[in-house]
Order: sequence, then structure tokens, then C-alpha cells
Amino acid sequence: MLDVKNLIVFFENAIALNDFSFQVNDGEFVGVVGPNSAGKTTLMNTLSGLIIDMQIKEKRKGGERITVYGSIVYRGRDITQTKPSERVRRGIVLSRERHPIFPESSVLENLKIAGFLRRKQEIREGIDFAFQLFPALVALKKKKAGFLSGGEQQMLAIGMALIVKPELLLLDEPLLGLSPMMQNTLMDAIVSLNKQRGITVVLCEQFARPVFPVIDRGYILENGMLTLMGTGKELMQNPEIKAAYFGI
Amino acid sequence: MFAGTLVYAIVNSFTLILLAIGFNLTFGISGVANFAYGALYVLSAYLSWMMMNLLGLPFFPSVILSILATTLFGALMYRLVLLRVRGQALSEVIATFGIGLSILELFRYLGFVGFEYTLPVFFDHSFIIAGTYIDMQRISIVVLGFLLVVLLWLFTHHTSTGLAFRGIAQDERTALTFGIDSDWIATLSVSLGAGLAAIAATIIIPLGSISPSEGYDVLIKALAVCIIGGLGSTGGVIAAGFFIGFAERFTDTYFGSHWTMIVSLIAILIVLVIKPSGLFGQQKELEERI
Repeated sequence: MLDVKNLIVFFENAIALNDFSFQVNDGEFVGVVGPNSAGKTTLMNTLSGLIIDMQIKEKRKGGERITVYGSIVYRGRDITQTKPSERVRRGIVLSRERHPIFPESSVLENLKIAGFLRRKQEIREGIDFAFQLFPALVALKKKKAGFLSGGEQQMLAIGMALIVKPELLLLDEPLLGLSPMMQNTLMDAIVSLNKQRGITVVLCEQFARPVFPVIDRGYILENGMLTLMGTGKELMQNPEIKAAYFGI
Repeated sequence: MFAGTLVYAIVNSFTLILLAIGFNLTFGISGVANFAYGALYVLSAYLSWMMMNLLGLPFFPSVILSILATTLFGALMYRLVLLRVRGQALSEVIATFGIGLSILELFRYLGFVGFEYTLPVFFDHSFIIAGTYIDMQRISIVVLGFLLVVLLWLFTHHTSTGLAFRGIAQDERTALTFGIDSDWIATLSVSLGAGLAAIAATIIIPLGSISPSEGYDVLIKALAVCIIGGLGSTGGVIAAGFFIGFAERFTDTYFGSHWTMIVSLIAILIVLVIKPSGLFGQQKELEERI
């Protein structure tokens, strides 16, 4: 489904992704785990095309020079230079890190804004589905999204991504700043999206513990480079990872 | 005297709201402070005048064509000029002010000054309300101003483009992840702002005349209302419109007309000292910085 080859991303002279290659197959759940500043967000922005927009806007302002090398092929088409809105149309949907919601609008309005590309009927179905997946949101639908708790905001963020009907869902640190219990709730929901709805998921996280047990394949990203890969089980058994991520 | 002042204060308030709402919409959504706003107001009025007096078109087709032309001009202004300086606030202000200056001074140079340059009233009729004479045009200002505010609210709350406007205004990058194209929405917001300036001109100009200096006055009034209400806040524009509108009329009646000019300026000073982001403003950074 997704074939990324030799991706190199520079912000001015600082390298954020260094020769990154990986594949994602249809229906897979892929985890990318790495510490802060490993390049996870840059990877997500590059896959979703946000980096193209950042590139254009920085250039207009005469700001930071962003350079991208390599190729991203999605369903047989090269999308390396495709605008983010076009990638969304083709089913690649990113949920950004730090609860990407519209704080001044109500929960319901947030979901409607997210459905910009969809028809009224599809939005209605999407909203029903989001409420079914996260029943906690139903009681909050008139509330301003900015007043929700971190966990509620993250549920909303994932609900918003679902309205777009993703085929490839990119999740950038969805567990950031959440309690272990909320992390479990969210991971359960994400797994059900992958297994029952057949949505292909690529998830970036710092926490390995909730991620490795549920993913099909995982990658370890450090300093913009892939250092290890394997199935979730293989990674959990790896002594280096045990020491670095599980503290055993 | 009080009742009459009250009636005229309401008219004045809606005039100010009509003048400011387009400027506010553009700024609230794309962050572009459109300093050509007053010039667009005057441009559309001159276009209507030319279509009626030089081409001999009837009133309604002329004003509708000129509103459409001004809307298109706003879109072109964004695409051809503003797009190149996007993200640099100062350059945006200079670029739009430059465009405004050239439009206004071109009309002055071509000699479009005088009392014959005006637009006709919609209906030539007047009433007596609360013991005060009031003409149909002023009533139209109140009714159409109110309608426009309601329509804008419906647009931003119940249409997908309107919701996208609000999404972009809150978080541009997150909006991008839902396929909302920020350049396209910004183009729309500038052109819609220009269209609102043109509508305001069509409704308000019949009470006076079209002149280049009107462009500067309109810009200052729109800025005053937006600064007091809080840039980008529709509620703020309405509140500030009523606040200044009432303050001006009551000052005029009870203190004398030469004091009205400084009312909005004093209001700006007070707001900037007490709450720099405006009555309903949400630009916390600005407040914290000051």
C-alpha cells in the first residue's frame, strides 16, 4: 500500500530523517517507536504531505529551508510532491500530535469541520460511528472542545480523523500525556479500527509498552534513522529494546 | 430628543457594523489586515455609479455587478499580490495599503470628486418613529445590517465552507490534515471581505456622496470598531458597533457635534489601556506581550 524509499529530510542543515525506507501493507498495523527528536513527527508530516505545505510557506516568508529527497509511493502512485489536501482525498489521513482539535468550536462542530471533504450523509454516519467508538463523547457534544480533558480531546481527534474515512490512518503520538487507563482505552479503539474496520494504521509513539503487544510490525527510529525492525513479538524479545524501553 | 437620538444611534450602530464586518471577517480567518478595505468600498461605489451613469444600466444590475466585480478584485488581490508576502504581517499591511492608496488616488487624479457622485436610495420614502423623521434608506441599513449578520452566522455555523473558515482561523495546520486548503480559504476570505465592503457601500453611500477621502474614513472606522471589539471576533464587532454608535450619537446630542469625532479615538485609547486585545478579543499573546 505504502512504499517509502530513501527518505531524507533536512531543516536547513539539520537532518531530521536520514535514509528512511519502509513499507506498509494493506490492513497492517505498523508502529514506529522512538525517543524525542527521533524524527517521528517529521516522518508523519512527510507522509501526510504537511511538509510540502510547510516548505511552500517557509519559502514565501524567506524562512527555514526544508529539503525532501526520496520517494513515497502510495497504491502504485508517486505522491512525494502531492499536496496534503490531495493526499487526504486519496485516503491518507493524519491525526497530529498534541490533540489536534479546534478548541473554540464545540465537539459536534469539530467533527463537522473534519468532514470538509465529505457529503452531509457521510458526515452524519461518521459522527454516529465516532460516538459509537467513544461513547464518552456523546454527553460532551455541545461542549467547547478546548474545555475537554486531554483524553477526551484525543478521542475527539481520532473521531475527527475517522470522519474523513481514512484508508491509511497516520497517528502521531496519540498517547501523549494520557493516563495508563486512558492509553488502554485508546489503544483498544485503535486496534478495533484496524482489525474490524480494516483501516491500515501507522502509529508513532514514545511508549513501547502499550504499542508492541498490538502491532503487526514495528520499527525503532533513532536520530532520523531506522535502527531495528521486526514483528511486535520479536521486538519485545529483543534484549536491547528490553533494556532501553522496558527497563528490564 | 432622547427618543430621536436613540433611533439615530441604532442606525449609526448598524452603519458601523456594516462597515467593519468585512474587514473583521478577512482578518479573523486568514489573518490578513486588509488596508485596501476602504478603497474597495469606494471602488464598488464608483463602479456602480459608472455603470449607471456612463453605461446607462438600471440600478439593481449595476450594484450587483459592481459587488461581484469587487469580490473578484479581492480574490485577484490575494492571488496576485498577497500570496507572495503571506505570513509577513508588515508586508501584507504595506501591500494592501499600497493597493488602496493607488485606487483612491487614481480616482482623485481622474477628477471623480463632487456631489454628483452618489448612488440613489432604494426607496424614496420616510416615516416618523418615536417623533423623529427617519427615511427608508436608514431603515434599510438597520434591516440589511441585521440580515447580513444573521446570514454570516448561518454561513459560518452551518455550511461546510463556513465551518472550514472557522477551522482555518483556529488551527491552520490541523485544518490542512482534513483536506482544507489554506490558500483557497484565505482567497475566499479576502474576496468575501471585499464583497461585504461593496455591499456596505451600496447601502450606505446613498446617504452621502462617493469621494476618495471616504475610503480613508471607512478604513479608520472599520479599524476602530475591530480594535475595540477585538480583531477577528464577530461578537466583538457587534458590541463595539453598538458601543461607538451610541456613544457618538449621544455625544452629538448632549455635548455638540464637534465632539463626536474623538469618541471612537478615546474609546480605542481606553480599550488599549485596559484590554489591548479588545472587548471580545482572544489574542492573548498580544495582551501578554503588552
